[in-house]
Amino acid sequence: MFSHNRRKLLQTSGALLAAGAMSSPLRAQTAAPRVVVIGGGFAGATLAKYVRLWNPKIQVTLIEPNPSHVSCILSNLVMTGALGMTDITIRYDTLRTKYGVSIVADRAVAIDPVNRRVSTLNGSQIAYDKLVLAPGIDFDAIPGLDSSVLPHAWQAGPQTLALKAQLQAVPAGGTFVMSIPQAPYRCPPGPYERACLIADSLLRNRRAGKVIVLDANPDVVAEAHTFHTAFSTTYAGVIEYRPGTEVLSVDWASKKITTNWDTIQADAANIIPRQKAGKLVVAAGLLGSAPGARWAPVNPLSYESTLVPNVHVIGDSQGTGQPKSGHMANAQAKVCADALVRYFAGEAPDPAPMTNSACYSPITSKTASWLTVVFGYDAASGLMKPVPNTLAEAPAPTRGHYEDMFGWAKNLFADSFS
Amino acid sequence: MKAHPKHLGRLAALALLLATAAAHGAPPAGRLLASQCAQCHGTNGQAVAGMEKLAGESESEIYGELIKMKANIKPDEIMHRQAAGYSDAQIRLMARYFATGGRTTATSSTGSSTTPSTRPTRRKSHDD
Repeated sequence: MFSHNRRKLLQTSGALLAAGAMSSPLRAQTAAPRVVVIGGGFAGATLAKYVRLWNPKIQVTLIEPNPSHVSCILSNLVMTGALGMTDITIRYDTLRTKYGVSIVADRAVAIDPVNRRVSTLNGSQIAYDKLVLAPGIDFDAIPGLDSSVLPHAWQAGPQTLALKAQLQAVPAGGTFVMSIPQAPYRCPPGPYERACLIADSLLRNRRAGKVIVLDANPDVVAEAHTFHTAFSTTYAGVIEYRPGTEVLSVDWASKKITTNWDTIQADAANIIPRQKAGKLVVAAGLLGSAPGARWAPVNPLSYESTLVPNVHVIGDSQGTGQPKSGHMANAQAKVCADALVRYFAGEAPDPAPMTNSACYSPITSKTASWLTVVFGYDAASGLMKPVPNTLAEAPAPTRGHYEDMFGWAKNLFADSFS
Repeated sequence: MKAHPKHLGRLAALALLLATAAAHGAPPAGRLLASQCAQCHGTNGQAVAGMEKLAGESESEIYGELIKMKANIKPDEIMHRQAAGYSDAQIRLMARYFATGGRTTATSSTGSSTTPSTRPTRRKSHDD
């Protein structure tokens, strides 16, 4: 009796839906809704996991060519030798086995937002109701710089090992040059952390000469107190910090780096170019036509592009102004996942989403600092804004924070990938 | 098929209800807020290592701790800054979510609430 009536009602409502009486989110309920995610970093993996966790009736397909993610978080400890590559390598298997995410081991090459299809390198066409782009970052070119020779190591993996080799190649008393790009870039405290660990490593191996830090920014971008203190006391005489200094070209055959001030002779180097949204975001026209746009404008309630409907951008490529980091990418992915779950139920996004950033940076081989901030949605401006009194850095690096760093990273890895 | 106009409104309302009920649609109150703790405290508060597990703690315990933290921010405590980011009402929602394992009433802009059908099975997985 009930099922008969229910079937009848479904048929009737189906006719109504076909007649266009219902909004499109409800139309999608007649078949399993399809979410396609491009990119399996902290943003994409978290999105895939949480959509399935919160509504297993939604099909989720993750397009990602690699079998595992190599985390930038903790990767400076692989550079120093404190950790190995296996410590920062996370397989995607759990997303499939535990959450039922379909993983397509292929590279997305183009998006057709009109017919809602993604094309892949191997020639597949993958249809979506909602598309989420999480491709991370891309780099500006610097004349003479070949990052396969001189690593940026701002994407972990082979680049991390190439940086480790650079560090090991510094002769006693030699000069290591590293550069920090104009903000915003991925992981605000990251380059300063790296400078500290390079200096620490050289000091411990009795090879310390000079670590010259070329910062395109006018001052330290994050944890100014922590890093100024580290540079001027812990690493006094080793780290030479040069703000307002941008790398203009590199001639690595003669190991020369030219800045807006002068040309520096190096023994080893780590040049991190200026960053922008991933290639696919740019190619899909998601940056808009504003000159110099580098990140995709999105609605922070859902991370849907303000330019192309049904395409969402999360993680480093989005342009809400929140810091670019794995922890923040995870936070945004949950806001987006919640908005997608609500969307397929015919509901509006949560009107007051919150995100937060918390991260630990090793300052020496035994101590770490932390940086934190909470963001809330400001309805008047339509922006995510730091909540007063929440932005802070650790008063001093400690051994306790160093221990906590591993607890944070393990939980963040697990919450994002397993 | 032609539906009589006076039935259309009722049918549309019923269809909407069904679609919503069928969709795991309305998220439990506090779920999205609480998920922002998971980066450090584990998915659904089940920390894997090195951080406090929130799942299974009582509502008053979590609420009381966070309210105390934001009332007296110590510079060396990262959690005090985090606590300062949320209103008392938001902290209440998160505390209730962790204490009940997500069996809080559904959020809805219309103020209606539903009882999740998975209630009995979910209860087993928690030690409350």
